[in-house]
Amino acid sequence: MGSRFDVAFVLIAFLLSIALLSACISYRFVRAVQGNEVAPPDGAFQLGKTSLGEVLSALGAPDELAELEGKDLLLYERAVLEDSRLTLGIPLPDIIRPNVDLSAYGTLVRYDRLWLLFTPDRILRQMMLEKDSSRPYLKTLFKQN
Amino acid sequence: MKSFISLFLVLTMTALSTGCLLLGKNKEYQPFDTSGLDRLSAGRTTASEVTEMFGAPTEVVKLSNGNAYIYRRSLSKGTGLWLILLSFGNYDTDHDQLVFFFDQNDVLTHYGVSLNARKASYGLPF
Repeated sequence: MGSRFDVAFVLIAFLLSIALLSACISYRFVRAVQGNEVAPPDGAFQLGKTSLGEVLSALGAPDELAELEGKDLLLYERAVLEDSRLTLGIPLPDIIRPNVDLSAYGTLVRYDRLWLLFTPDRILRQMMLEKDSSRPYLKTLFKQN
Repeated sequence: MKSFISLFLVLTMTALSTGCLLLGKNKEYQPFDTSGLDRLSAGRTTASEVTEMFGAPTEVVKLSNGNAYIYRRSLSKGTGLWLILLSFGNYDTDHDQLVFFFDQNDVLTHYGVSLNARKASYGLPF
């Protein structure tokens, strides 16, 4: 009888603690993705040879366009945001003045970017690819610099 | 005792799964009528014909040897899930884009098409 009462007490205490902690502990994770995969076909683009038309038929419309000192820049971009937040707090400001509230959060935005620079006669002159979205979230977040 | 544990499990599951699910959608611009793309011809179609087909561009960019008209439409889909201790959010944005390149005489030289807005999807962030 005694052990049955103990088990019931533990279980009820556990349920109560869940109910109480729900006001004090929370974890949130949010991910936002803007744009599509940026992936130039392997070896398909050659500097000095590939034309604007070939790039457009392979990659579609660019996300940004600009003129840079007589050359045309096409930018394809994908952004990935990840945000996680852990909050610990005891919301008792109306009962006692000292209020415990601790929170930690980390927001990381990573970009995949493909820069393509064309001459005025629309031949590929320079190409740069930066692929950061595959980097691990926590390792990148806590890395110094 | 067995029935008590069953009751406890039901209560625990109910408590943990109590929450809220939110689905949201954000649309900018109207879908493009892409049937007009078949009538485009590099070297012949002019900028004014393009604007007759697709309306006013979202953005006009001056390039080294002419201009480019950009038409952009975006579709975002958001999902939120709130449980007692955990909450998750996911926001996916994709675009439909048409970019037309014109020479200095406003004649079409190239165009690029990306129709990805329908790829935007609901879901959890993992």
